[in-house]
Amino acid sequence: MTVLLEVRERLKLIYSKYEAVLLPVAKFLLAFLVFNTLNSRTGYMTQLNDTTIVLIVALTCSVLPAGVMVAFAAAISLAHMYALSMEVALVGLCAYLVLYLLFFRFSPRDSLVVLLTPLLCAYKIPYVVPIVVGLLCGPSSIVSVGSGVFVHYLIELVTDSASNIKLMGEEDVLAKVRLIIEGITGNKSMLVVIAAFGVTVFVVYMLRRLPVNYSWTIAMITGAMVDVVILLIGDLLYEINISVSGALLGSLLAVAVAKVIEFFRFCVDYSRTEKVQFEDDEYYYYVKAVPKMTVPVSTKTVKRINSPQAREAAGAKGASRPTARGDGSGRGSARTSSRPQGRSGRSVVVKNSMSEGTGNGYEEWS
Amino acid sequence: MLNEERIILMARMASYEKGEGRENVKIGNYFRSDYIAAQVLKSVICAVIAFLLIFALYIVYNFEPLMENLYEMDLMAFARDVLIYFFATVASYGVITYLVSTWRYAKAKKSLRCYYNNLKKLNSLYTESK
Repeated sequence: MTVLLEVRERLKLIYSKYEAVLLPVAKFLLAFLVFNTLNSRTGYMTQLNDTTIVLIVALTCSVLPAGVMVAFAAAISLAHMYALSMEVALVGLCAYLVLYLLFFRFSPRDSLVVLLTPLLCAYKIPYVVPIVVGLLCGPSSIVSVGSGVFVHYLIELVTDSASNIKLMGEEDVLAKVRLIIEGITGNKSMLVVIAAFGVTVFVVYMLRRLPVNYSWTIAMITGAMVDVVILLIGDLLYEINISVSGALLGSLLAVAVAKVIEFFRFCVDYSRTEKVQFEDDEYYYYVKAVPKMTVPVSTKTVKRINSPQAREAAGAKGASRPTARGDGSGRGSARTSSRPQGRSGRSVVVKNSMSEGTGNGYEEWS
Repeated sequence: MLNEERIILMARMASYEKGEGRENVKIGNYFRSDYIAAQVLKSVICAVIAFLLIFALYIVYNFEPLMENLYEMDLMAFARDVLIYFFATVASYGVITYLVSTWRYAKAKKSLRCYYNNLKKLNSLYTESK
């Protein structure tokens, strides 16, 4: 466990050091993955399938807010729908506008959830979403998860109906619109998944806030069970053909992912829980304090202490003579090096220090 | 001389101002009634546009039956039904927005109170150091 905690601290240090680079790179990779998935699932507008265009758009998204990525993803999907049929694109545009106007207004900061939900649904691992969102976000994110599920099913409907739409003539405008609207309103599977994910987010959120030990673990396991149970009930009621084994395996994977997230966000040591009680003029306080698990990261610093004169003297007198061992008096230059350099007679301090200055390092002289 | 407590406090406050605080400061600039009224008004406009879009899709979806029965159907009853749905949608969305913005305003104010307390504390730390 100590090793894992140390790795976590190192990762945190690396992230804080290179945040300016890592964040745009992560956004670029996400945008590239989202646009590529969108192109591979639909791909009706062949001009957009060009990798160069995807790279340019992903690069643009990497330096812009996440909301812009959602807008680009919506625009690309609408462009593909337009290439398939203008009527489909119009219905898609209306659907996106209604989603934005009625739902997305309440949680504009959940752009990542709106992007990741259809992405993970496309890769058949959607069960991670409600549990992770319940752990990390608030109940208003139910709207974002629902919107993401809706977008996934809309794209799936378009791809499934593409062959029928292509067979229809230019004059079948109303038939095309009817096909898509019927597909949306009559999609029981979508409604069941939205309901299951919404309830799961709420349950996970409520449970992880409880002041009980292992609340995060209880929340994620209960959430996974609630999710599977609602999906099974929906399957029984509406015969939506949800794969039971897929839901169970997906939920197990979701719990595993949630445990990893818990390790990074809420790693506490319940064995050292303290309960204290005190009072002031107005209140009595009953406080339960659970310490976080942290270990200081050890950093190895090699410090060379030698004076320029000694170095010069050592160089002049050659290798046959014993050299100055370094004065160590603080007059010499201090450098950081990881490699000893021959027999020039320098003093090297290898210091294994703790980043938080706990003082249990050691010194070694050579 | 560097004051460690002051630096930690300033760092925390800067982080707050950059993230969650930015939105809260915006909300805090309004009076409660003004903020809620503005949010409800925006929501009503959004709900009207959304209703019109959904209604347009409904009309396109039912275009043929509507055209066939146009002279036989009771247009007044149809218009009344549409208006009832319209007002129900707009009103319910307005109520939801009212509740959400009331909660958000209270939350932002509470958070800003903590922020202003920290500002006072920072000010007192500066006074102490002088």
